[in-house]
Amino acid sequence: MNSRERVLKLFKGEPVDRVPCFSGMGNITEEGINKLGYKFAAIHSDAKMMADTAATTYKLFGFESGVVPVDLCVEAEAMGCVINVYPHAEGILYPTIKEKLIHKEDEMDIKLPADIGNRGRVPLLREAIKLLKADIGNEVAIGSYVLGPFTLAGQIMELNDLLKLSFKKADKVAKLLDTMADAIIAVAKEFEKAGADFITVREMGATSDVLSPRVFKNLILPPLQKIIKEIKVHSVLHICGKTNDIVTFMMEACPTAISVEQKNDVAETRKKLGKDALIFGNYDPYNVLVSGDENLVRATVRQCIDNGVSAVWPGCDIWPTVPPQNMRAMMDEIKNYGGKK
Amino acid sequence: MSDEAKKKEILEKLRNGVIQYDEDACKEGAQEALDAGIDPNEAIFDGLVSGMEEVGRLFEAQEYFVPEILMCADALYAGLALLKPHCKAMDIGLKGAVVIGTVEGDVHDIGKNLVKMMFDVAGFTVYDLGRDVPLDQFVEEQLRTDSDLVCLSAMMTTSMVGMPKVIEKIKAKNPDVMIMIGGAPTSKELAEKFGADGYAEDASNALKEAIKMVSFLKKLRDEKAAKSK
Repeated sequence: MNSRERVLKLFKGEPVDRVPCFSGMGNITEEGINKLGYKFAAIHSDAKMMADTAATTYKLFGFESGVVPVDLCVEAEAMGCVINVYPHAEGILYPTIKEKLIHKEDEMDIKLPADIGNRGRVPLLREAIKLLKADIGNEVAIGSYVLGPFTLAGQIMELNDLLKLSFKKADKVAKLLDTMADAIIAVAKEFEKAGADFITVREMGATSDVLSPRVFKNLILPPLQKIIKEIKVHSVLHICGKTNDIVTFMMEACPTAISVEQKNDVAETRKKLGKDALIFGNYDPYNVLVSGDENLVRATVRQCIDNGVSAVWPGCDIWPTVPPQNMRAMMDEIKNYGGKK
Repeated sequence: MSDEAKKKEILEKLRNGVIQYDEDACKEGAQEALDAGIDPNEAIFDGLVSGMEEVGRLFEAQEYFVPEILMCADALYAGLALLKPHCKAMDIGLKGAVVIGTVEGDVHDIGKNLVKMMFDVAGFTVYDLGRDVPLDQFVEEQLRTDSDLVCLSAMMTTSMVGMPKVIEKIKAKNPDVMIMIGGAPTSKELAEKFGADGYAEDASNALKEAIKMVSFLKKLRDEKAAKSK
């Protein structure tokens, strides 16, 4: 069973020989970028460079997926925001949005451009997915991701205002999130057409660190359900931070799998959701994978599995400065231990 | 109504105004405090800050979340704007200047703004560099203003990794500067590893840390007041 078969079988709920280790979020490494001789700031706007880089984490370490994009600005850009890729940065800086679309409450009633699937870097992403698929698509599953509606809304307007309005004027925010859902669906459709095997919906901003479970259920869940219903390939719903109180709501969005990070008590989540739920997580991508020593890297793989994850999956983007020996140790441990349960 | 009873009522109004995110109540309470000749510092600390302490507790108990905190902060500022011009600087033996900002590559500033609020409350001079701030700017601003404290915030793991560079540069030029880091991906261990003097892992913790600090200043003030009596 190769990595592709393993991951796709897992998504279908079929038996697998061992727990896979993969991600639907960013996972490129400095090691990979340097081997190619690329500059981090350049790979976001060149389909070939993006695909080449995305393939290196599999090629160098045996990581069991290939994922593009690398940054989080594709949807906002397609809606008309200008992004900053920090071309002159010495180290690695991820692109951010330079200018918001909505500056005050009465600008919230926005119309989406009709051809959002052909705007900004969406065509470039289509190309990158095709290239990545042609390169390693026989060996690993190819993933792509979109933002969740609340996270996207937080990019195109002041998060401060969005948060307060989600309390004071929930109906206005609900309408905006529904429009965000339409934009996200349009982008996800293009990624599907290009050949993505699975799509992760990253609703990072709607964590219980920020919003109450009640607001999550009333305001965030409906547009998430709308989006995930339209994704025809396998889908993963990811939320950062504290999520134990909302995992049942996450399941109500009906993704193929949910993804949680290290702040989630996965043993409790497994107990709550039952043995058949696909729970991906909750590997700490910075404090363990980047900063930890090899023992911690291996122990954390075992711990994630013992707590009941369906796939060992970093809780966020892998930070590119990850030491290569840690990547190797993680992938070695998954082979040793992933079939034991 | 006795002066004491009236004072108590006004302080209570300010406190509840913050807790119930009622900007109008905080404005009214602040005006009443001034009219009644209550020491504005007392109105701030025993009214507004006392309310914010309760908000911190409600957040911890998961009764309040970030939207509520932001609204409470607006209410606090509404009262503070009226009271502050009448405050005498607190003589507590601190210069009380702070450089604060979110590091380059990160455009999240909610936690940073909450910490800034508590510095405003405490009467610090706050040099707010905003968000997505190039690392060298922190170093330059500290040197320019000779601030005793520098606060670096990052919400994303992907932007946090710039922090050690700034800390190293500032400490090289001025080893006495205190550096506080904050944001979701930070931790006590990371703060130590990065060479920072303190940390706050999220908006609520930032708020708590800042409240703690301000409560400490308040204690100093009270002790000083007790001594001079």
